[in-house]
Amino acid sequence: MFSKKMVMIVGLIVLIAVNIILLSVFNRRYISYYRPGRIAISLIAPFQKASTNSIRFVRDIWRHYFFVVNVAKENDNYKKALNKAFENNIQLRELRLSNSRLRNLLNFEKTITNRVLSAEVIGKDPSPWFKTVLIDKGKSDGVETGMAVVVPKGIAGQITDVSSNYSKVLLIIDHNSAVDALVQNDRARGIIKGDAAGQCLFKYVLRKHDIEIGNIVVSSGLDGVFPKGLAVGYVSAVIKPKAGIFQEVTVTPYVDFEKLEEVLIVLNPKKKEFEPEQ
Amino acid sequence: MTYCLHIFIGLCLIVIQTTVMPHIPLFARFYDLLAPFVIYLSIFRSVRESMIIVFVFGFFMDIISGGPFGIYLTAYLWMFIGVRWAITFLHVGDGLLLPVVVTAGVLMENLVFIGTSAMFEQSSRISETMVSTIIVQVLWAIFTGPLFLMLFNTSHRRWNLWFKEILVKKN
Repeated sequence: MFSKKMVMIVGLIVLIAVNIILLSVFNRRYISYYRPGRIAISLIAPFQKASTNSIRFVRDIWRHYFFVVNVAKENDNYKKALNKAFENNIQLRELRLSNSRLRNLLNFEKTITNRVLSAEVIGKDPSPWFKTVLIDKGKSDGVETGMAVVVPKGIAGQITDVSSNYSKVLLIIDHNSAVDALVQNDRARGIIKGDAAGQCLFKYVLRKHDIEIGNIVVSSGLDGVFPKGLAVGYVSAVIKPKAGIFQEVTVTPYVDFEKLEEVLIVLNPKKKEFEPEQ
Repeated sequence: MTYCLHIFIGLCLIVIQTTVMPHIPLFARFYDLLAPFVIYLSIFRSVRESMIIVFVFGFFMDIISGGPFGIYLTAYLWMFIGVRWAITFLHVGDGLLLPVVVTAGVLMENLVFIGTSAMFEQSSRISETMVSTIIVQVLWAIFTGPLFLMLFNTSHRRWNLWFKEILVKKN
């Protein structure tokens, strides 16, 4: 009744349709590390960790023992000090500004200092189209989906998947990432989205704000993920289109994602437990 | 035992791709190393043997990647089907057409990634970075793709010889 060619074509069309439907379903309901995914990640991640540790070991030997020992050590110390100073500087600027705003307000609650957990990056995303990394801390260390991941220079990303010993971090330069942020000087608010070029787009910033190149962008804390006042990056390009209510702002992140090795996971602060009424 | 070899090769490729290559700036925009492996399976191995490996590694890649789940499975499956279809009328085993096949596979994979992004994200657009990444990947594929195929083929032959020797010694 039907020719073999006809059956092949219909089969191919059905296969394409099924493929698109399945992709669409899985895109909306993301499969987590539970069930088979957990087995897969438990199988791959230890090899990645071993490989990463070996690379670091060899590189550290080269850096610290064979390649001008003292200079390398001094350089490491300077880098640490610089990172610390940079972090302090950003925090102080943010504190100064918030202090002047809050001085007029009474009865404000002091901000809670979040607990952090350090983790090592053990693997990067296999595709250049997506920006995620795998870290060596998981559920057994208290890590949960949605926690913020930072480095001394600023925000790195957010935990998107957790297995017992490993987690996946969606970096802020991924196009699926979104961070509520504001310009430190004039408090212009917007959403930081990832860009294919490894930079970030500062979206939904109103035209009325005078944003200049070099302005520092910090997290607003309004997304409920990232603590307020953490550095995101600096404004590297501003385009004010003739029409529309928003301006196009490009932000260069402070974090060098190519050299990301250690990160800090911001553990959610302990919730206050209220005493039961008697 | 052949499956063990395939799984070993696939795992090595994933580990190299996610841990070693990011440290070398030259390979910052290298193509997916599993693409030539899938192409090798489709050209040189049986459908039954290859399909299992394609599904297993598509699933693994989907788990460790940040893309929508199923994107690698889709890419590998269509790459496999495409190459199997191509070898019905092209004699790709002689080596001259190998760079073309690998390049086509890499292009197909990128097409699946970009197509999926475009399908699920309204604001997605093709940027200069995307185009340059694809060009760099294609250039890498032309020059290194056939080498990978030959490497997989040689390692498989050696493995078979070694395995046969062991069996002969045992008997």
